[in-house]
Amino acid sequence: MDTSSPAVFVNAELLKMHMGKRVRAVVQVARNEGGSIVGQSTDGQQLTVKGGDPQSFTLFHYVEVIGIADGNHSIRAEICTDFGELFDAASYNGLCQLANGKYKNLFI
Amino acid sequence: MMVADQFAGAPLFAGGAFMPSQSTESTISPSKIRTPQTLIPVTVKQIIEAYRSIEDKSAIVVDGVELANMRLVGLVMNRTERATEVSFTLDDGTGRIDITRWANESTDTAEVALIRNGIYVMVHGHLRGFQGKRHAIAFSVQSLTDFNDIVLHFVECVHVHLGHNRLKGGIARMEMVNMNSPFPNGMREQLAAFPSQVVAHSIMDGPAVEIYNLVLRMFQEPAILALEQGLHVEELFRRLSLPKNQIMDALNYLADVGHIYSTVDEYHFKFANNC
Repeated sequence: MDTSSPAVFVNAELLKMHMGKRVRAVVQVARNEGGSIVGQSTDGQQLTVKGGDPQSFTLFHYVEVIGIADGNHSIRAEICTDFGELFDAASYNGLCQLANGKYKNLFI
Repeated sequence: MMVADQFAGAPLFAGGAFMPSQSTESTISPSKIRTPQTLIPVTVKQIIEAYRSIEDKSAIVVDGVELANMRLVGLVMNRTERATEVSFTLDDGTGRIDITRWANESTDTAEVALIRNGIYVMVHGHLRGFQGKRHAIAFSVQSLTDFNDIVLHFVECVHVHLGHNRLKGGIARMEMVNMNSPFPNGMREQLAAFPSQVVAHSIMDGPAVEIYNLVLRMFQEPAILALEQGLHVEELFRRLSLPKNQIMDALNYLADVGHIYSTVDEYHFKFANNC
């Protein structure tokens, strides 16, 4: 079993605590800036997603990005999944806090 | 009363007696029949930790509960297909585990045809150790259409983890209360007599919970249960040498959650449920 690649649930605020590590975050796609996607994190801040398949980024859709945190507000994408339009960002944000807080041992 | 016919042919009754003899190799033990088959939402990390912490790998225990069946949610990777089975690695973001889904019936083959690399699935199955390697057999693999299910699954993992640990912690706290009781000897015996399931219902941490449980136990005494009007608060103050405001807090809390109710007036309370 490969335990070297767990991805931590993060929002923009928590991203800073996991620089260089594998993370997962959900962003709502705001715009495409040729090669990078800019979107809103589940805690309302701006995140940039580098790389990734442009086809999985539809405007206003929620996209889960799994990749490496390589900047205060950016992720280098490895896997992207389109979560569609009907996604509860607030719940995901709550999960990020649970997974990094008191119940961290269940996740990482 | 057991009838021999029901078990005709079973080796248990080869001796001709109704009850299986102790020396007969029994495939069913009474404890296994009574143990409920649980289905617990878990993360792969929890499974890894459970494996690490025990010697006997035949029974995996998570949060003090034996993991009979489990639910996992994650991404499909390395899908391989053989004649009657499909195998893949499930990555749920906390770790990876190999899954096998046997597909013999047409309903099974229809289900496994939908499993593709890179999609999110919900897996229901059980663990199997194989040559020391962690592995799970799935009896259901469904691709997710509503991705809020991912969040729900992980939140439920936390919820169930909390529930199981609260039961364990509650029992430990109750033992601590019994040992450190400041009350006279007679009271201590009464405290020890009551079951600990009351503690499992408490939703708050801290010393307040111990006071709530002490007060509640007063209402659960057989002599008090028999009183139609219940117990008067003054009598409660007299019996428990605790600050009155703490007792009143406990009464208010217990009444709010429904464990006790007031009877003839606001000073008389009675235990509410007989479970």
